[in-house]
Amino acid sequence: MPSAPFPEIARVDARDKVLGRTLYAADVPQTDPLHAMLVPAAITRGRLVSLDPGVAGRVPGVVRVLTSDDFPVPPEPDPDGPPPPPPTLTAQIAYFGQPVALVVAESLEAAIEGAEALAASATYEAEGFVAVLGADSPREEVEPRRVGDAEAALAAAATRIEDLYEIPVQHHNPIELIATSVRLSEGRLIIDEPQQGVDIARFGVAGALQMDPEAITVRSAYIGGAFGQKGFAQRQTAIVARAAILTGRPVKLVTPRGQLFHLTYHRPASRHQVRLGADAGGRLTGLAYDAVQENTPGGAFAAADYHEGAGRLYGIENYSGTAADVFVDRHAPGYMRGTHPYGACFAIESALDELAIASGRDPVEIRLANDTATDPLTGNPLSARHLNACLREGARRFGWERRTAETASMWAEDGSIIGMGVASGIFPAAVAAGEVTLRVSANGTTRLIASGHEMGQGIRTMLANTILQQLDVDPDGIEIVLGDTDASPQFMTAGQWGTTSIVSATADAAARLAAAYAELAGERTPAGNLNVRLARLRRPYLEVKGRQKGPGQDASALEEFRQRGFPLAGPEYPQFTSMSHIAHFAEVHVEPTTRRVRVARMVSIVDCGRVISPRTARSQVYGGVVWAIGHTLGEGSEIDPRFGGVLNDDLADYVVAVNADIGEIDVGFIDEPDPMISDVGAKGLGELTMVGASAAIANAIRHATGRRIRKLPIRVDDLL
Amino acid sequence: MQPFTYLTPGSAEEAVAAYAEAGEGAVFVAGGTNLYDLMKLGIARPSHLIDVTGIEGLDTISTEGEELRFGANAKMSAVAAHDHVAGQYPVLSESLWKAAAPQLRNMATVGANLLQRTRCLYFRNGAGSVSTVGVYPCNKRAPGSGCAAIGGLDRGQAVLGTSEACTAVSPGDWPVALTALDASVEVLGRDGARRIPITEFYRLPGSTPDVEFALAPGEIVTAVTVPRTEAGRRSTYHKLRDRASYAFALASAAVALEMEGETVRRARIALGGVATVPWRASGVEAALAGRRLSRDLALEAARGAFAEARPGRQNGFKIDLGAQTLADALMIAMDRA
Repeated sequence: MPSAPFPEIARVDARDKVLGRTLYAADVPQTDPLHAMLVPAAITRGRLVSLDPGVAGRVPGVVRVLTSDDFPVPPEPDPDGPPPPPPTLTAQIAYFGQPVALVVAESLEAAIEGAEALAASATYEAEGFVAVLGADSPREEVEPRRVGDAEAALAAAATRIEDLYEIPVQHHNPIELIATSVRLSEGRLIIDEPQQGVDIARFGVAGALQMDPEAITVRSAYIGGAFGQKGFAQRQTAIVARAAILTGRPVKLVTPRGQLFHLTYHRPASRHQVRLGADAGGRLTGLAYDAVQENTPGGAFAAADYHEGAGRLYGIENYSGTAADVFVDRHAPGYMRGTHPYGACFAIESALDELAIASGRDPVEIRLANDTATDPLTGNPLSARHLNACLREGARRFGWERRTAETASMWAEDGSIIGMGVASGIFPAAVAAGEVTLRVSANGTTRLIASGHEMGQGIRTMLANTILQQLDVDPDGIEIVLGDTDASPQFMTAGQWGTTSIVSATADAAARLAAAYAELAGERTPAGNLNVRLARLRRPYLEVKGRQKGPGQDASALEEFRQRGFPLAGPEYPQFTSMSHIAHFAEVHVEPTTRRVRVARMVSIVDCGRVISPRTARSQVYGGVVWAIGHTLGEGSEIDPRFGGVLNDDLADYVVAVNADIGEIDVGFIDEPDPMISDVGAKGLGELTMVGASAAIANAIRHATGRRIRKLPIRVDDLL
Repeated sequence: MQPFTYLTPGSAEEAVAAYAEAGEGAVFVAGGTNLYDLMKLGIARPSHLIDVTGIEGLDTISTEGEELRFGANAKMSAVAAHDHVAGQYPVLSESLWKAAAPQLRNMATVGANLLQRTRCLYFRNGAGSVSTVGVYPCNKRAPGSGCAAIGGLDRGQAVLGTSEACTAVSPGDWPVALTALDASVEVLGRDGARRIPITEFYRLPGSTPDVEFALAPGEIVTAVTVPRTEAGRRSTYHKLRDRASYAFALASAAVALEMEGETVRRARIALGGVATVPWRASGVEAALAGRRLSRDLALEAARGAFAEARPGRQNGFKIDLGAQTLADALMIAMDRA
């Protein structure tokens, strides 16, 4: 079993990507395709009364206009059944920018012109709406999560911190836009789209169009950035598929970026009320954490999940967690990198910094002193928890001992004030059951068919490294088939369980293949690598299946995988709880006059179990830290409550970080396997990378300026 | 997209004639970095594009004689990198380097840059484009429809030079530097050539925010001229924004100083990011003249520029930020010999 550290290999698909050879969904060649454009609703809530398809039809090149009349009436929702597919085109408007029609044309220009003419012809009956998180919205509490007696602990605490922290609406802005490309082939629908869960998209289209899922293929071989935006069934998929059916030609849609801000999943605005108490010795004794977030009725982004990470950051025996959804008239929120722990750790790690200051303790020391080997929420052991190792290694690399505790006590040569901050991050380590097929051939190829999606995290590199660690095959002959509903069942690659799950199944396949070869070869010892040896033994190929079950899962989980279900387990397993951990250290330089903030350097040390691919893992952390800098200092979707749409809906005005904003980033890994979660011992990484980073930066800003900013983004406005 | 004709005149006179001939909906285009964006947004809907980039000799940069002369078609990147400009007039060079991104600076020209339109989010969203989805009233885009920014999300809006009809910020950096240096704009129209002082080139919004420039219909910008000044060397363009690059100014200051020892003989100052037009801060100039420059004096004088500021709901910070930015700019300029 591969318990040794993995060697660093180059990213297997880097060369093709750099040369522009990689085909993303909208690049997949189509024969004689039509181009499509959605018509966005110009009201936030109400009803589309009329639309004049004729005005679009008169635009030269427009082939067809699709409206709600072109779609089957959705069946009555079944409360006991699976979640309904996303709606298609409907006259009922639930959010600003909701698609009300699709224009299909011979050229993109004609589709745009037709869509704009159609939009101008629309009439609506508008209703009152609530577009932003506020006091007037309907609210729904979820089941609280309580251990011990937080109120009593807080009442008895020697030091107590109470405050409210706020996260804004934020939108993923991967360079690859939302896109769907559909063709018909021998009675089947072939759909290419950037998707983290092609089977989910497939069932979504089947449900929406009332088709047999067996007649639908969805492929997503490469994604140009997803980060949770592309994890669920997307609204446009069935709409574009219907257009292909009605026109009998391939149809391709790439949404403009401005639409992406309106018709996709995003991080909801949220508010985090934290009460944190410690005894005279600096031991944290109680945490009461009340989270409120925007949602839509039936929205999948569950408010209860704020407590999954928050309750396990430290060994706090008395925990009271409540959560509530506040309903707004917008597209449903969804998963954005870091998900719930991102907001929870911004709040709690900021509060812990406040508590450290209030009690005169060092922010690293107080974290180290509150470590735990037991999951406070369940009483079970925490498997392979190395948060303190992250904090110690981070402090060493960062030079934390040089920090002086007083506010504005450190100055850079250029006259700016130096601030240093630390924060921890945590994210659940889930796994999904799955099965892969591995074939090593005498012709030099090695082919792995797996569930998984390559969205930049480097899953192909991880799987290749897993194969190469156990099998002496030709590295240039490795082919990894991912994200194809025809090749294998596909569970959603999200929540940082993709690697954990599929690497384990692949390691199992490699071991089985080695065993199969040993049986074949017997006493014979031909020379060469495994491909060559098969040729010498006159065996065209060996093929095996490898399997992975999460702790506590039985054979039914594998059967569920084969039936294209979603056999996910964790982070609470029957005997233990498993989490990934990170410690971020930030150094900011604040200009004393204008209060400009620059993140001069970050040190981020990660405990994600065994690292499968050092290079792509490091790259993941760089990306997460860069994004966190953007999230902390710039990103926020601005919604005028009078209108309901996102105003700053482009990359100029939605302030993502640019290269010039990024200083030095030093990344390290503990690289200790978690033996309880799987034989390989890998835990998730992708989500974790951002969690806590914003608090580390905010804490550094507090150290530099004395200002505690409890909301994101932190801008000069807040510091002047 | 509506169809348009595309004309490529070979001289400025031909361009002016082509405009008159084309009639309704004619628009000049140079680098296109702003106009094509506005066309995609549905804000500009020209019927005829008259591409002036083929005009012979219109991209000449001349630094001989009593004034600097920049042909309208000189690229932003070319002027920014010009040895004499970068060495003797850092305020001009920096205002160009700190604008946009390399790709844009390689396309955009220093003449057409004067005509860049505001980044007010309510202006940009709402012209019926499917690429940006909003439906907002805007007096600049649709005269008489109202101003959604007043009483709305106004963090980016102007605090100086605003009116009841419009608070949109003048977006440029280069025009701010030119305003500090008393530049002029040379234009050519059917009635011949004329020269407009840059301080008269931009119109306050008043009740007609759609009228932004002192250009007659069909007039083309042919050159920008800057009087030669020793103050050019003691100059800077200081720009504060929400990220380190590729962003418009929250507040900026163009400063050029004539000093006698540590005493200010004459200061030339203009502000960007905070006003509806490039904002000449004459009051600050007067307050500094003849005084020994220190950071305290700089800040005190700089605050004077904002005495008449009218903040909205979220942009009050621009008053303090603008003053700090100007004070910093003064200190940077002073340190340059």
